[in-house]
Amino acid sequence: MLFRRLRDRLVQEPEAGSMNLTPMIDMTFLLVVFFMLTIDLSTKEFFPVDLPFASEGIPDEEVDGVPRRLVVNLDSAGTIHFKNHAFELASADPGTQDDALLAFRDALRSVHGADPVLRDPTGASNVPVLIHADREAKWKYVQWLMGACATNKIYQLQFAVKKPSDPEGR
Amino acid sequence: MDLQLGEPQETELNMTPMIDIVFQLIIFFLLSLKFKTIDRRIESMMPKDRGPNPAPSILEEEDKIKVKLFRRGIADRERAFTLLKIDNAAQYPLPKGWKGRLKETPDRIERYDATVAAVKRAIEDRIAAYGGITDQIVGEIVAPPPRGGSVPHGDAVAVLNAFMEAGITNVKFEGTPTPLTSSERAARAAR
Repeated sequence: MLFRRLRDRLVQEPEAGSMNLTPMIDMTFLLVVFFMLTIDLSTKEFFPVDLPFASEGIPDEEVDGVPRRLVVNLDSAGTIHFKNHAFELASADPGTQDDALLAFRDALRSVHGADPVLRDPTGASNVPVLIHADREAKWKYVQWLMGACATNKIYQLQFAVKKPSDPEGR
Repeated sequence: MDLQLGEPQETELNMTPMIDIVFQLIIFFLLSLKFKTIDRRIESMMPKDRGPNPAPSILEEEDKIKVKLFRRGIADRERAFTLLKIDNAAQYPLPKGWKGRLKETPDRIERYDATVAAVKRAIEDRIAAYGGITDQIVGEIVAPPPRGGSVPHGDAVAVLNAFMEAGITNVKFEGTPTPLTSSERAARAAR
């Protein structure tokens, strides 16, 4: 009796219609591992904008694999997006515009700070700022943004651009 | 007394919640995946002896090529356009109602590119007139306030790119004043 039960357990008839889930689970785990390894959350600091076109732009490659730069986004409506904060420059009131600009300047200072590692002996910053601005944003907002960088002694700037021959460009 | 041993229970793992979670993870990673965001950039170095926080230096006379950008027809967004002037002489209007390269018709894109190419040729003519040594020539991009400030960033970059294509890498931007002057800012703070 005991032997028959054991035999029944070991030699089971395959059930009709049951699916073997093991390969699917294997593949799914492999997909999860792939996405975990390739995900780069740092790209989240780029706000979606339509970049201007320039044939003279150089390929954006990281130096030593470490992107040591600050990214400042400017959308077409004139709002600066920096480190999860928004600073609205588009206003009919110059006072409001100035307040937003000063708030951005202070935010830039608080992120960059006076860390001597990030600055050369003259106090100028070693860390560039990438201006990731929409092509329809007003030029004066870009200039104010550059002025805020200069006030913080950040002189190295980069403008994010697209190649004119880019398929999206035509 | 007989000892009643129960039937050995077969323990099966319920895979359904695990598969649910794994699929949710895949959806999260798929949505947040972005291989590359920007392709290209223009490197720029602002002068330390000018701007809002200048360091003292001796300013030298330089050969200049000045491109001024004006915004015309601001009242009607559909008809607004940027007018480029080189050294206050030749004028080059960019197409009216330019909505950006992604939204425009091929003929307008052609006109836009032809205008920027004409600006580049005019810059090259000025370079030749100065003797052809681009290292000694400074480009200037000026957007006179108040309307110049409304020039789209893309148009200013197009002019910057024309300078760079012509071989001039020393390009200055004449700044638009900040919304308030320092005295206006101080007066506002005192209130």
